[in-house]
Amino acid sequence: MNRALLLGAALALGTAAAGAAHAQDVIRVGAPLPITGPLSPEAKKQQRGYDLWAETVNKRGGVKVGAKRMKVEIVYVDYQSNTPRAVQAAEKLITQDKVDFLFSPFGSGATKAASSVSEKYQVPTVAATASSAQVYDQGYKYLFGTFTPNDTLTEPLADIVGREAAGVRRVAILARNDLFPLAIAQEMEKSAKKRGLNVVYFEKYAIGTLDHASALSQIKSMSPHWIFATGYTNDLILLRKQMADQRIEAPVVTMIAAPAYQDWIDGTGKLSQNVTSAAWWHPAVRYKGKDVFGTTENYVKLFRAAYGALPDYAEASASAAGAMLQLAIEKAGSIDRTKVRDALSAMNEMTFWGPVKFGPNGQITSLEPPVFQIQNGKPTVIHPKAIRQGELQLGVSN
Amino acid sequence: MPLLYFQILANGLVLGGLYACIASGFSLVWGVQNVINILHGSFIVLGAYLAYFAHLHAGIHPFLSILIAIPVFFAIGYGLQRMMINRIIAAPVLLTLTLTFGLDLMLQNGMIMAFTADFKKLVLDPPLGTIALGEVVLPVDRLAAMALALALTAMLYLILSRSRIGRAIVAVRMDREAAALMGVNVARIYAITFGLGVMMAGASGPLLAMIFPISPLGGPAYLGKAFVICVLGGLGSVPGAMIGGLVLGVVESFGALWFGPEHAVTLSFSLLILMLLFRPHGLLGRKGYE
Amino acid sequence: MKRDASIALVLFALVALLPLSGEAYWMRLGTTMLMYGVLAMSWNFIGGMAGYPSFAVAAFFGLGAYAGAVAQKFGVPMGFAWVGAGLLALVFAALLGVALLRLRGHYFAIASLVVAEVLRELVNSMTGLTGGGMGLNLPIPAMASVDAQARFFFYVMLLLAAVTFTAMLITANSKLGFGLRCIQQNESAADMLGVDTTFYKVSAFMLSGVFVGVAGAVYASWVYYIEPPDVFDVLYSVKAIVMVLLGGAGSMFGPLVGAAAFLSLEELVWRNYLEVHTGVLGLMIVLLVLFLPKGLISLSQRLGRRGKLR
Repeated sequence: MNRALLLGAALALGTAAAGAAHAQDVIRVGAPLPITGPLSPEAKKQQRGYDLWAETVNKRGGVKVGAKRMKVEIVYVDYQSNTPRAVQAAEKLITQDKVDFLFSPFGSGATKAASSVSEKYQVPTVAATASSAQVYDQGYKYLFGTFTPNDTLTEPLADIVGREAAGVRRVAILARNDLFPLAIAQEMEKSAKKRGLNVVYFEKYAIGTLDHASALSQIKSMSPHWIFATGYTNDLILLRKQMADQRIEAPVVTMIAAPAYQDWIDGTGKLSQNVTSAAWWHPAVRYKGKDVFGTTENYVKLFRAAYGALPDYAEASASAAGAMLQLAIEKAGSIDRTKVRDALSAMNEMTFWGPVKFGPNGQITSLEPPVFQIQNGKPTVIHPKAIRQGELQLGVSN
Repeated sequence: MPLLYFQILANGLVLGGLYACIASGFSLVWGVQNVINILHGSFIVLGAYLAYFAHLHAGIHPFLSILIAIPVFFAIGYGLQRMMINRIIAAPVLLTLTLTFGLDLMLQNGMIMAFTADFKKLVLDPPLGTIALGEVVLPVDRLAAMALALALTAMLYLILSRSRIGRAIVAVRMDREAAALMGVNVARIYAITFGLGVMMAGASGPLLAMIFPISPLGGPAYLGKAFVICVLGGLGSVPGAMIGGLVLGVVESFGALWFGPEHAVTLSFSLLILMLLFRPHGLLGRKGYE
Repeated sequence: MKRDASIALVLFALVALLPLSGEAYWMRLGTTMLMYGVLAMSWNFIGGMAGYPSFAVAAFFGLGAYAGAVAQKFGVPMGFAWVGAGLLALVFAALLGVALLRLRGHYFAIASLVVAEVLRELVNSMTGLTGGGMGLNLPIPAMASVDAQARFFFYVMLLLAAVTFTAMLITANSKLGFGLRCIQQNESAADMLGVDTTFYKVSAFMLSGVFVGVAGAVYASWVYYIEPPDVFDVLYSVKAIVMVLLGGAGSMFGPLVGAAAFLSLEELVWRNYLEVHTGVLGLMIVLLVLFLPKGLISLSQRLGRRGKLR
């Protein structure tokens, strides 16, 4: 019998008695992250998001649990960008560090891998960076995710392009052969075909590809109206550069996910102009949340004060994961894992991140991800209407 | 359709020029000293950072940074060989390889500490641009890389064939003991060779900074290419590295066209194994150093 | 040989007591150490005895991991899947050995290094069978408790390490071991003296593959999730080599001593110097190569000899 279960049982017997027996004033949340290795820049973003949440909560006295207030502590473990080590790290956090709750490791793959551990120990786990349906369709009860399914990014994109760029017929798709980038490209293919667009090119490139010239020459020879490329920051900087190298131009060029990051805009310079993208969140969205951050403006302000930069969607998602967990704990009035799980599952609240309501598989269903375009070096929201900052500009040239 | 083939061929050739740049120093060191310098890729990255920061803070054009990189990296290589690698040069191949692997881990970690793991990119404004030959478009920065590879190859060729040091390097390559008996200071020759190899890595860094995003962990990708190119071209042969680079560039370009870009990496590694099995002395079939 | 065997018996018996500590952390570390031991001892067959700088450990490990995982996906019971993975690695090593062992020195090193890269890409592209980049989740073994599960995998690795050690001991004291040492000293001479070098080298390569393949499959069941970049990681090859160098190449206990020492250092560095742990690992390798190229075992021998002189 493991201690976590005993603790849960004791708490269920009555908070008063258990409170005396387990004089615990801190809620510990475990966060396995790729602090070293190739994914370390991503880990840094996650850490900034989690830390901001913990600091903000603790500054206000902590999380309200029934009658008392409990401080939050985040326990980080480095898994060296190595997924099996992430699974071990999650297990270590639960069994040895005795954390109460868990944040998932980075990305869909590692989240899926570690979810079997949190399910085994029945630890409510919030995933801040997993969108792929395969992660949530395992029938697990303790996993909750802040990203909507991938098609919620491609559908509005296809809608806008269909509405505002009448001449677009031929679509070329080039995807990194990797979990998320490939999945989103496949969704794009579906969204395009659904609207009668002609997908003239669909190819994958290997992880670690140093040259895209051949693929781009082939794309150029088909003169597509819409070029859709997926990958991470380094891939998409190189791709955009090599498009210019061959003087490739198109009415619409979409890249996912890098343009949401400042690194990509810096790395492409003027070539970033008019490239469209979509993400689950953008600092320009406006929500009046009931969570610890309140409005989106307030969140952006706090983030700026802490780190001197605008938050991107990955950073905000980490903070949102904390805020959702907090809402669930406060609603449950306890840190009992089953009760918190039930509160998460039944949640229907507004947050700075957007409305939060999870589907039966644990993935959020209530968000409407914004579509944006880089205009003069700045991401400009072009959808949804309520927060629009500008119109879709056609024509990506060099 | 024929136009596409011309463009793909052109892509492959300029990519090959880049590859020749990446591989020539590596090939020299491997051929002359029988040392596999795992550090080679990370030295390229370090050269790229040099150009990036010189451009960011002092507005120095990457072409000028090459001139800075040449003496700096030669000194680094010379010192490294003198102080460390010469100590175990006679040991089994595995030891020198392991030593440079350990050094590479240190250098990578050091670069992460100094520059963070975020991707950086040197963006020229205005960019070098492209030139068009009919309908075929070529990027100027890659052409420059090709020219540099050619210039460095020519320079090395001249050093090796015309100068006293060059003749000593060739002599050491052919027979170390005999060269030592003839009064050649072998330790010094090794240090010079290693210095030249590292210099080529460092000098190609600024060019690559204009083309690729820079990351402290980018070295192994360049190193992998260097392996393939050396085996294609034949070890220790500087013209071989040039030819190996061009062949690999063209093969990868047409491979991506015919088999799909997802198999480009597998293709080049499979090519390497086949070469090792059937033509271990490279396409030129020349053994040793010329 | 008898002396080595009895020392080993005591050693393995002592290690077998580890679960008494009852700590999940120590169990994990112990299991990892035994796995490293298997990798290092396996490398010793080809690298230590025959002197061929093989980097194929990662290829065998990944192959075994995926063979075991895919077999279990199709309902093969766990134990059979492990043995099957070992056999596959054995056959693969035989074929690979015939092709690659004609090469020497750096050529052989590079070719063996690249095999893992090619396998990784293949596994990556066979999405239907292997899950590709998504990785593969294995069935979590149905066991009474977490502790029981940890103990189970610990003893499985212990058994595997003991088998590998026995194979190494027998080989070293057999005609095969003698032949391999001849090859290491001077292959051309051995060839001329009538040693069937190809047969010997391929045998050594097969021995260096089979146990690593099983270890990969056990590892997959133990962590119940695998993905190509992890199980085909070139660091498995490098670590095996460094562990043998650290312990002392060609000696009986060198690989085991090296595995224990390496894992302790790795863990110590990882826990205490998070930001610089790869750099410190690199520094250790550099110092090792420069100052202790014959390994820790040689250190104890040197000290021992000095003791006798007094």
